Amino acid sequence: MSDQPITDLPEPRLASSWSAATGSWLPAVILLLVTIVAWEAAVRIFAISAFIIPAPSEIAKSLVAQWGTLMQATLVTAGEILFGFLVSVVVGIAIALVIVRFDWLGRALYPLVVLFQNVPKVALAPIFILWFGYGLAPKIGLILVIAFFPVTLSMLAGMQSVDRSLLSLMNSVGASPTQILFRIRVPHSLPNLMAGTKIAATLSVIGAIVGEFAGASDGLGYVIQFASTQLDTALVFAALLLVSVLGIAFYYAAEILERIVVPWAPKFSQS
Amino acid sequence: MRIETIRAAGDRPAHIRHDNLISAKGVSVVIARQLILSNIDLSVPKGSFVSLIGPSGCGKSTLLKVLAGLVQPTQGSVAIAGLAPVEAARKCMIGLVFQDANLLPWKNAVDNASLLLGIADKSLSRSDLRARGQEMLELVGLGDSAHKRPNELSGGMRQRVAIARALALDPAVLLMDEPFGALDAITRDSMGQSLLEIWQRTGKTIVLVTHSIDEAIHLSRHVHVLGIKPGRITESLDIALPYPRDLSVSEDPEFVRLVVQLRTMLRSSHQPGGAS
Repeated sequence: MSDQPITDLPEPRLASSWSAATGSWLPAVILLLVTIVAWEAAVRIFAISAFIIPAPSEIAKSLVAQWGTLMQATLVTAGEILFGFLVSVVVGIAIALVIVRFDWLGRALYPLVVLFQNVPKVALAPIFILWFGYGLAPKIGLILVIAFFPVTLSMLAGMQSVDRSLLSLMNSVGASPTQILFRIRVPHSLPNLMAGTKIAATLSVIGAIVGEFAGASDGLGYVIQFASTQLDTALVFAALLLVSVLGIAFYYAAEILERIVVPWAPKFSQS
Repeated sequence: MRIETIRAAGDRPAHIRHDNLISAKGVSVVIARQLILSNIDLSVPKGSFVSLIGPSGCGKSTLLKVLAGLVQPTQGSVAIAGLAPVEAARKCMIGLVFQDANLLPWKNAVDNASLLLGIADKSLSRSDLRARGQEMLELVGLGDSAHKRPNELSGGMRQRVAIARALALDPAVLLMDEPFGALDAITRDSMGQSLLEIWQRTGKTIVLVTHSIDEAIHLSRHVHVLGIKPGRITESLDIALPYPRDLSVSEDPEFVRLVVQLRTMLRSSHQPGGAS
């Protein structure tokens, strides 16, 4: 070892938190911009009709021109998603609790839940319209059947993965099954449940759009369907863009909720 | 109210009385047609520190579970102060500590320490439980970390909370299954020393399952060696080193002699035994 001070070492990478933060989203933004520019260029160079593939500038124009209509539709769809999502989470949790707490009922219920999961639920949309009409109810119903499953499944996984020694400790001092359920299993399942909730949030968006496709007089799904019959493809894309924004917003809302509900979850610990 | 302060050192002479707190007679355990434990006779005097040592698969953990009432013996009987283990556990006479601390990650140290007591004794208020939890954390040397969550504690500290949780029940006996097995050597030494101090301050009876020869001799008064196929007590050794012991006990010639003796016993315990 020499006594010379080491001076020619490179600066450590990701030294500041700023570069760490930008480093994570910068590549995605660059790729997005490149794609948009290439898209615009391709449409212009090959003179593709606007009703086949509209250029990004056309989509932006349509977005501005139909802003009022689109915002109204977005609000309707967002309401359906939020309501349907909340119902799915509540029902999903309730089913998981029943399966874990009541053994024989669980053994009866669980295979049926899995069986039901294999029904193509998008195909239920016309039936829900038939039963519940054109209002909010069929959309909520469709979101529920699509989105409750990941909630139930993730919560079950969390509740059933409690360490056996911990259960032994609880049993040894005479804890009741209900005490073990609510003091150990349910809180232990929360990190899993939050993961399932995020999946349910994205599925809720799909449920709402499919519900509106099947029969609606408002909402982004309705706008998409109506605009495509008019060959107004730019409006279709504008509505699709808003659907995506809604999906991302719900996903990140669920992620923020996760940080609030389970700050102790393993994924948030540094080590 | 069950809460009582920890007895001061010397208040209760720990090793004078010779009556047995735990007695197992002819205990055999068969699990999935396999003879895990064969005809175990074990007496643990009140206030003593007993270690069970043996090779992997000798059933030492199963034996501890039988004493705790978590596994029912196929044959034979176990009594803890005259009670069946399950009864004794319900009366908070048994404190359990496993290799994994098994703390609840959403609760802080003091609430983890009082968790089992709160379930066992529903008459205690939240503040009673907190006070008791705090008292136990101070006993295990974690008085300052009461509000830390498990993910803010080191492995050794988490295990201290697990010991505090067991002690909060004010049990007659502490049953410990390789409690320091997942810790590094230095932490392990200091945990062992702390356990000795806790033992001497509280006068609890301790049964420790370990696979460390040094740990068994450093800590315990009696060591029982278990052999494999089937699991049985092959030999027993009294550790005559005087208490209080500290880590320098390992330099004592008597300690070295005992290590050699115990190692020889362990080597022969690796031989499968027939009917003996």
